Amino acid sequence: MDANEHLIFNKGNELVQQNFIPKLDIKSEKIEEILPKNLIRDELRIPDVSEVEIVRHYIKLSKINYGVDSGIYPLGSCTMKYNPKINEIVARMTSFSKVHSLQGENEGALEILYEISQMLGEITGMDGFTLQPAAGAHGELVGLLIIKKYFETRGIVKNKIIIPDSAHGTNPASAKMAGFSIIELQSNEQGEVPLDHLEYAMKQGDVAGIMLTNPNTLGVFDRQIKDITRIVHEHGGLCYYDGANMNPMLGICRPKDMGFDIVHLNLHKTFSTPHGGGGPGSGPVGVISELIPYLPIPCIVSTDKGLVCNHENHESIGRIKAFWGNFSIVLRAYVYIISLGGDGLKRVGQIAVLNANYLKTLLKKKYNLPYDRICQHEFVLSDKYLPNEITTEDIAKRILDYGFYAPTIYFPLVVNGALMIEPTETESKDSLDKFVEVMNQIHDEALNKPEKLKNAPSNTPIGRLDAVNAARKPILHD
Amino acid sequence: MDYEFPDNLKYTKTHEWLRIEDNTATVGITDFAQRQLGDIVYIELPEKGAILEKQSSVGEIESVKAVGELLMPLSGKIIEVNSNLVDNPELVNSSPYGPGWILKLEYTNELEINDLFSVEDYKRIAEEEN
Amino acid sequence: MDFISHDEKTIAEMLKIINVSEIDDLFQDIPKDLIIKSLNISDGMSEPDVLNKMREYGKKNKIYPHSFLGAGCYYHYIPSLVDFVISRSEFYTSYTPYQAEASQGYLQAIYEYQSIISRLTEMEIANASMYDGSTSLAEAAIMASIITGKNQVILLEGVHPEYIEVVKTYCWGQNIELKITSENKLNDVLNEDIAAVMFQSPNFFGDITDGLVMSNKVKEKYPNCLLIQCMTDPTCLGLLKPPGKTNIDIFVAEGQSFGIDPSFGGPGLGIFTAKKKFLRKIPGRLVGKTKEINGDRDGFLLTLQAREQHIRREKASSNICTNQALCSLSALIYLVSLGKTGLREIATQNFQKAHYVKNAIALIPGYEILNKKPTYNEFIVRCPNINGLIRECKKMNLLPPLQVSTYYPEMSDVVLVCVTELNSSSSIEKFIKAAKLAINNEEERAD
Repeated sequence: MDANEHLIFNKGNELVQQNFIPKLDIKSEKIEEILPKNLIRDELRIPDVSEVEIVRHYIKLSKINYGVDSGIYPLGSCTMKYNPKINEIVARMTSFSKVHSLQGENEGALEILYEISQMLGEITGMDGFTLQPAAGAHGELVGLLIIKKYFETRGIVKNKIIIPDSAHGTNPASAKMAGFSIIELQSNEQGEVPLDHLEYAMKQGDVAGIMLTNPNTLGVFDRQIKDITRIVHEHGGLCYYDGANMNPMLGICRPKDMGFDIVHLNLHKTFSTPHGGGGPGSGPVGVISELIPYLPIPCIVSTDKGLVCNHENHESIGRIKAFWGNFSIVLRAYVYIISLGGDGLKRVGQIAVLNANYLKTLLKKKYNLPYDRICQHEFVLSDKYLPNEITTEDIAKRILDYGFYAPTIYFPLVVNGALMIEPTETESKDSLDKFVEVMNQIHDEALNKPEKLKNAPSNTPIGRLDAVNAARKPILHD
Repeated sequence: MDYEFPDNLKYTKTHEWLRIEDNTATVGITDFAQRQLGDIVYIELPEKGAILEKQSSVGEIESVKAVGELLMPLSGKIIEVNSNLVDNPELVNSSPYGPGWILKLEYTNELEINDLFSVEDYKRIAEEEN
Repeated sequence: MDFISHDEKTIAEMLKIINVSEIDDLFQDIPKDLIIKSLNISDGMSEPDVLNKMREYGKKNKIYPHSFLGAGCYYHYIPSLVDFVISRSEFYTSYTPYQAEASQGYLQAIYEYQSIISRLTEMEIANASMYDGSTSLAEAAIMASIITGKNQVILLEGVHPEYIEVVKTYCWGQNIELKITSENKLNDVLNEDIAAVMFQSPNFFGDITDGLVMSNKVKEKYPNCLLIQCMTDPTCLGLLKPPGKTNIDIFVAEGQSFGIDPSFGGPGLGIFTAKKKFLRKIPGRLVGKTKEINGDRDGFLLTLQAREQHIRREKASSNICTNQALCSLSALIYLVSLGKTGLREIATQNFQKAHYVKNAIALIPGYEILNKKPTYNEFIVRCPNINGLIRECKKMNLLPPLQVSTYYPEMSDVVLVCVTELNSSSSIEKFIKAAKLAINNEEERAD
């Protein structure tokens, strides 16, 4: 497969195939008579390409791409689980896909939004939800703006947020977008938050809250979680839960019970909606009842007259996206939840953790596992003791040669040469065993034939690319 | 440690080096810093004429995987920037103390020079971070 | 339903290898009082039962065969190819293409998307997408503030009211002062402390503004002030002068019109473009072309990642991570399926059909077209009996135009009419008839 497939722009010709234009069936005037010349464009540099050429071009491209339907996708903290096809069928029903954002007569859509809010509330323990955020990071921004509003309405100035060093990069970036500055806490040797440092930081008096994910990015459940949230609350702060790692907690444990006040979920992780190569996602935010007034508008409220949309809440942080959020993504998550049911969701948590611990037990025989304890949905290996100057990147690239996708590399930053692995619950034992086999083989190669790793990948449509030149002299379009 | 740290320069704990002559200083980043960052792809240079306090952010150095902030080692005015770095940022990697210099400043407070590190003190800092 | 492949025997084997006796042991780090017994959610369902349930919900949404409603969300024809391509599971079940060698297909597609948006808008740089038009506009304001070091921005009336609210929220988050004013009063408010002026064209009411006129107005006196344009239906670019030719600094648009179903408001597509000189400050992902390290072939990868949150963390100008990749793929397929000829034709039809309806309505006594500037596929009309019009439309199975009082209560007798290429002549005739019937309805006139 030649990766130098010509760009679509080279496939045009003079043939004008107009397969997608309805017939113009009204008496029309010439454009030059309706529109002033200075508003009209001279040329449009987009090719006319025949339908067959277009389809072939993109099908070819799909074949040099890897999705979770192709095989295991063990990216840590991404929860690359199977994307059920029933979700796709429902999302394409015209009774959902053709609903205009601003039309009335939309009770079906509103009911789904309302019901899933209830269900997400049951899953997380939170009292109210907004389904507006378009992604996890968007949800983080919403949560932090809620924290900001909370203190503003009370006339209290608190402008710092505590974030552990193991946190995902969106956490500090979101905090900054909400106007906060960051206090970074270093994780202790168990990979958990050190309570004394936390206490000290909170005592300074200007901390609005803490952002945490639990289990954290090391896959470890912080056993002192209740102490952490208690300390933050005692000093007048709020606790934000980054729900990216919610998968192992489904039906097992709830952020509200851990002491959190605000939660975001990633529907494109935990709730099976497709990653789409980088979106669209959805990042609903749940809050305790005291914070409900601050949720973004519009919200759906249940009254005796049925469901009503409230656009007028003056205490709200405001609108954070036009219309209703990524409805067809929320719809897919809804289908997932009703398909699985309460017991099915709990099973997700259980098997996710089973699969991760299984992989960890087998992989730690050859690879270094810095935090050797029971993990939840994911675990992190390091590059310690890798022979022959082999790096984590070399390992990842060699995994591609074996036809699998590589785990997350170089994150979290607290582990040197991190290799972060999350299999999810939808991998079969067979799939896991094959992955272990490949990892073991690669380790042997690292010992005895390191050049195979150094030159990897050699089995993919393209070899390692020059990222340095790409950043020095960017070519971003043809 | 096989880094290069010339004797005739002053250093900061944030890995800038200075060559002080009369009332000006030429500034760049150390061999240690460039190695940590990796292949440098872009440098955001300050405006000529800008007047900045010591420790304030005066530029950014980007590699593929990281960003380093350049901090003013002494309070003063920027009198020159190395415009070669626009097209050839890799000079900072290949010759961090020579053609890879970043800016020249005219310092306003001589006393601040006392806070700078000698090559011996800086070697210790770099070793610790290693 | 579930998607787990293990049987009980397999689970037992795995537990043995892990060296625990039961699954509950794997949760031993969780304090006992935090463990819940079960979730209060009904039992799972199989596919046929799920479909039945969802059909019941679907029945409660009315889908009109014809629509005159726009206001930021548009019905355009979606070529059959779009869904087939994005349904390739190698695309939609894939992750962000961090491992470039295994993701060349998607990376090339995103590169083509960036290229085609650049060609369509004639803007120098397009990113891989943002969430939607409204958040793109908000992030553009922040970007302008970072570039200029100033924290005041001007927003002109005529920007979609929901977009205005989103920009307000984001500006509040960053302590950026937002000044909203009309085009007439712009010169009074403009000064050297302004980071950017933001306007929409075609605007919420349908008016098209010449970007060149706007940029001259702003930059003549304040050349360092950035000009940001947003757009809610970019199909007009099949015909209208592109922003890249009018000295616009940042151009953003809602890309839902490019092959994406309305789906009650989302997902949409945030199209985000800017001048090349602002490249290092642009938010969102960027795909670049480069060569192999040890070879000769061209390939694609995510580049300039040092701008983004996973490297810069709190120093990032934006927190965006997951964006709208699959929607950008839809837009790409849409745009190549139509090609320049199709895009021009679609835009032309939108103009002509809307123009036709505008003229016909203007002839009906009592109706007044309020636009003073040229319009694309939307325009505003003062109605003698707005409730009557809405009622008659529904009777004829037409999705009525927007009542502008939804956003501007003082405009209680104004509708925002949208006509696209999908409005057949029969639906147009029905609409005109509905407008005429509405006048004759005595009892409603009293409302």
